Amino acid sequence: MKMNCGQYEEKFSAWVNNELGPSERAEFEKHLAGCEGCMQEFTAMQQVWDLMGEMETPQPSANVQVKFNAMLETFKESEAEKKGTSLKEQLARLWQWQPRWPLAYSLVIVLISFTCGYFAFRTGSGGKQDEQMKALSAQVHELKQTMMLALLENPSASERIRGVSYTSEIKHADKEVIDALFATLNNDPNVNVRLSTLDALTHLASHPEVRQGLIQSIVQQDSPLMQSAIADVMLKLQEKRSVNSFKQLLKQKNLNPGVKDKIRQTITQLI
Amino acid sequence: MLRVKAGDLDRMGLLFERHYRALYGFLFHMTYQREASEDMVQTVFYKMLRYRNSFTGDGEFVAWMYQIARNVIKDNVKKNKPGNTYYDAGEIADRLPGGTSADEGFEKKQANAGLHRAMAKLSDDNREILTLSRFQELKYQEIGQILGISEGAVKVRAFRAMQELKDIYAKMER
Repeated sequence: MKMNCGQYEEKFSAWVNNELGPSERAEFEKHLAGCEGCMQEFTAMQQVWDLMGEMETPQPSANVQVKFNAMLETFKESEAEKKGTSLKEQLARLWQWQPRWPLAYSLVIVLISFTCGYFAFRTGSGGKQDEQMKALSAQVHELKQTMMLALLENPSASERIRGVSYTSEIKHADKEVIDALFATLNNDPNVNVRLSTLDALTHLASHPEVRQGLIQSIVQQDSPLMQSAIADVMLKLQEKRSVNSFKQLLKQKNLNPGVKDKIRQTITQLI
Repeated sequence: MLRVKAGDLDRMGLLFERHYRALYGFLFHMTYQREASEDMVQTVFYKMLRYRNSFTGDGEFVAWMYQIARNVIKDNVKKNKPGNTYYDAGEIADRLPGGTSADEGFEKKQANAGLHRAMAKLSDDNREILTLSRFQELKYQEIGQILGISEGAVKVRAFRAMQELKDIYAKMER
């Protein structure tokens, strides 16, 4: 290459990338035809350039797309959260913009009118209605209780279970209901009825007499199913007083070995 | 991109669809690491979302994307240990997808692999300029925008890079 060929370097770059205008192109090619050094050099470079065009570039895996979509989703979510907070700020700003005293004044007026209205209507028939409602709900309560007690006497086991399940609807179980439940728990011939009774009594465990009754009932159960169920209940209630009853139960000769293990475990966990 | 900036983030999905292959190609040629390049594609798009407000709109989106990509590459190189960054050039050739059919593809693959090896020996700056102009098919004026230099300077550097590549390739062929 001659000294003054340097100016063609830029031209070559443009030429090879098809960025020369027609006149510049003609001029460049004219120079090439007349300058052997440039011709050689540029031809070799153009060959490499063409070869590069055939080179393969590895393609990204499908993962990229999947990952991007996931990223975009999480980004949108976090953006939405940010918007939420800015909305709050805007509301706060709104409060600042409001003339505060008039706003507070009108709020007080609204509040006063509401309370006046409330008292005006309440003093009229409100008291009587309340009494009537109370009487009515007491009646419904009583009715449910009688029905439940009647169902517990039913010869069909499924009806008795239904009766037991009514207790969950009775809000304040009185002594009569609890006694009936314990009678069922200790004497019912069907083990399923006894199991659901145990469940019902567990819900009433806030009454101290229920806890006492349950502990007493431990020794009276002879079915292995009931024995282990009652052990679970005691563990759930963390009833330490039941330990003596369990020890008594362990002394029984014909106790199921599985139940024996379970009761030992319960005792250790309770202590 | 201006619509993304205005809050229509779903538009970014469209831009991704359109540009991620090219971006991956650029990242791969600059690092020769497949998985890292995939991760970097992710990083670049994340940064564009995150800093979408810094996109002024008076340059091309593509130029902005490559500017961010260059920074991501720099960060990536810093994170890796120097010796760890590049694979051996021969290994690169093996990592590339092979020709379509065995016989017809073989010669092409050989030439391909040789050129890849030569490319790997170029300095980072030179490889960058050739990748942008030849593989990414960008105009010199766009490359100037990305690198922050004039169009004329890009042309001169492109010429030098090509000259270097030709010489390395010729030496290897011998």
